[in-house]
Amino acid sequence: MINPGDAGQALRHAMKSGAEEAEVFFLEGRTVSIDIKGTSIELARENIASGVGIRAVVRGAVGFASTNIPAKMKKAAEYAVKAAKVRASDPEWKSLPDTKEFPAVEGIYDDEVANIGLETCLDCAVAMISGVSEKKGAYPTSGSFSCSRSKQLILNSHGVEIKDEETGVEAAIEAAVSGNELSTALDFSVSRHNDIDFRELGASAAGLAVSSQGGKRFEAADVPVILKPMAAADLLENVFLPSLSAENVQKARSALSGRMGEEIAPAELCIIDDGTLRSGMGSSRADDEGTPSQRTELVSRGVLKNFLHNSYTAGKYGIASTGNGVRLSYLTTPAVGIRNLMVEYTESDIIAETSRGVVVNTLIGAHTANAISGDFSVEGRNAFYIKNGELVNPIKSVMLSGNIFDLVKKIDGAGKDKKAVGNIITPSLRFGNMRVLG
Amino acid sequence: MKPDFYDVSEMELTGSTFILDNGKLEEISGTFSAGAGIRALAGGAWGFTITEDTGEIRKAIEHASLLAARTQERTPREKVTLAPVKKPHLRNLPVVKKDPLDVPVEDKIELLKDIEKALRIKEVNSTSVTYSEIKARVHYSSSEGVDCEYKSVRVGFAVSAVAQRNGTYQADRESRFSVCGFELFDRYDAREIASEVGGRAVALLDAKAAKGGEFPVILDPELAGVFIHEAVGHAVEADHVLEGNSILSGKINTQVGSPLLTAIDDPTLHEYGYYPIDSEGVESRPRVLIENGVLKSYLHSRETAGKLGGEPGNARAQSYSKPVVRMSNTFIANGSSTFDEMLLEIRDGVYLIGSRGGQVNPGEGIFQFNAKRGYMIENGKIAAPLRDVSLSGSTLEILHNVTMVGNDMGLHSGRCGKAGQLVPVTDGAPHVLVSRAMVGGSG
Repeated sequence: MINPGDAGQALRHAMKSGAEEAEVFFLEGRTVSIDIKGTSIELARENIASGVGIRAVVRGAVGFASTNIPAKMKKAAEYAVKAAKVRASDPEWKSLPDTKEFPAVEGIYDDEVANIGLETCLDCAVAMISGVSEKKGAYPTSGSFSCSRSKQLILNSHGVEIKDEETGVEAAIEAAVSGNELSTALDFSVSRHNDIDFRELGASAAGLAVSSQGGKRFEAADVPVILKPMAAADLLENVFLPSLSAENVQKARSALSGRMGEEIAPAELCIIDDGTLRSGMGSSRADDEGTPSQRTELVSRGVLKNFLHNSYTAGKYGIASTGNGVRLSYLTTPAVGIRNLMVEYTESDIIAETSRGVVVNTLIGAHTANAISGDFSVEGRNAFYIKNGELVNPIKSVMLSGNIFDLVKKIDGAGKDKKAVGNIITPSLRFGNMRVLG
Repeated sequence: MKPDFYDVSEMELTGSTFILDNGKLEEISGTFSAGAGIRALAGGAWGFTITEDTGEIRKAIEHASLLAARTQERTPREKVTLAPVKKPHLRNLPVVKKDPLDVPVEDKIELLKDIEKALRIKEVNSTSVTYSEIKARVHYSSSEGVDCEYKSVRVGFAVSAVAQRNGTYQADRESRFSVCGFELFDRYDAREIASEVGGRAVALLDAKAAKGGEFPVILDPELAGVFIHEAVGHAVEADHVLEGNSILSGKINTQVGSPLLTAIDDPTLHEYGYYPIDSEGVESRPRVLIENGVLKSYLHSRETAGKLGGEPGNARAQSYSKPVVRMSNTFIANGSSTFDEMLLEIRDGVYLIGSRGGQVNPGEGIFQFNAKRGYMIENGKIAAPLRDVSLSGSTLEILHNVTMVGNDMGLHSGRCGKAGQLVPVTDGAPHVLVSRAMVGGSG
């Protein structure tokens, strides 16, 4: 197994092989997870993994290699240097990060989660199952619980050395009810701590499956649509947020390109990315290339203020990185990604304030939308018809379509139900007018 | 603690990826990885461990056995009986004609730059060309005495173009991946494919958003292939059937669609979804899913085959993750109609082409796919081009509404992401005419 001590060795080897700058990203993780199938536990799993990703820079060109085999460490370092040399010089490359001061970030490591035993994990999964079964007629179809701890180390040839330790808990459960027809619903929760009410999570999925029974058809109309946090986060992540990435702006793949300082949303709306958020799932002292984490206002009072940058895209503009160099694992170079993205809008009791409309809990197909033009056509699941401020009846299935850049301007309400959907923290959002097909 | 059963899947991977972005070589990355996934079964519970240290496999088997035993003790689950399997034989393995490692890096870069030039036509303002090669050594062994090893090579490329005019953006992309070496580029003219992609992205700038509603439709081979994979294939995966999460549950030997329809899953084809043995050491073989509209078979792992009856051979995993019931190369078999006959038959309708992906609820049997593009069909002729057009509806309704099946099957490679694990697959179909379907659009 590769250990943190090997990282320094890989860095030295890359420099010795001809790199002008080099970086080693080391990640070690242990995950205990439980798979639920039907009403029982099908599998318990423990994964232990560690590996390094090596970036070598020659004349501004970057080469990359990764490995989890100690004996292949030197070979990987040499591959990275060779890959850099074969590329043309990149005059837009500035440098690897060299800041050595990092903010304090709280609540991202929890001893109890780090040292969790199998029995506790099994208990959490059992609680989710019984939460579902409490609702009459509901049963779990599948679910999962996982607990992880990871250790990350970034070393570079400018003397940056930043270590972070993190923990995470994730739980998801799908419930079904088979009356005259089958209805299903999903709920999930994530946390840095073991503070999720698993029974409640199961009951919530089951409750939604029960209330979705007997869905009626909906006649096509342009009506106000409330997207609950899971649906709102799904749509924003797939269709809106890609346009806030400087990488997409610089590659002419963003419809927000050239619109800095313009009003792109209602004045009540703010969108903020914060890598230092206490207990945030995307928080840590540095991003995944060693840039100190920070809070960045992307949309402030409806006005586009900033794009998300990693060190490369920032270097190209001659500005500082926003600390949004993000990697999924040691297998990839840092792309531009969100840390903790927060959507803020004056919160109120939006369902009660809606005379006629549709509320949708989750979406199918948001990832297939056109992230460049912003056009989407997605299916809304667990949808309900609202009349005079009340949920009147479930709707069998609805198609929602439109253009996200037009629709963001029509946001006119937010619920009091802010939820962390992975790294996106959002309340329910009401879009004043959206095309709905029954 | 002695388990009822255990097995070990070891894998060693060496791979390279090249990314050419807007004509600039943006990334060359390599990976060298190894590891093993170990399963142990105690009664009805599985224990699973991953180790990256192949010297520690004995210990990992013991730990997986312990996880299984303690889980079974805490929440007893009905005993799992694995369907018996014969000792596998490795037959008809793909032969690599040009080892990608023998092709100099400089030549690969040159080729990618040529492809990019073909992609970049007037009004295309952003391009991407990626290439990847991956060599794998796979070793499977089990407590039942199976011990088997094979090597595979997969090579492929993807091209995408974004066209822009007056603040309107449109994109198109194509990819070709297969189990083969660098001879992939002899099989496909990558420059030709690239210039078509560029042309289509530009043409979409003039396309209109589709008007939603119910129409007769013709699905092109790519979209019909995605439909058969997403809407039908996932519903015949026996794990979904056992979860009560399949619209095709309990329908074996019943008519589930038009008698014109035959659908097959065939892992022995030398396409991207190929494997000689599955992740449970079961020798692969073709399987007829639907024959003349009658549901014939589900896809099984050893566990689901043991429970439901049926034959295993479709358990697959991403590298050394836990095997899950999966498809391989899945397609609608050729019928006898030509595309022109379909146009005459449909007269007025919508022609839907390609897929930007889709999602399905296999339990309720409803789906939604976004096509890459489309055309109105008027008076039996291809008319106005359409963009941002989608297809949605009920799987069974679409299957029954098929009124013509073409004779021009085409296959498309992709990756399927079930259970959070990406595995290579191929989907395919000829053109298919559906008498009524829900078309979505914002026009």
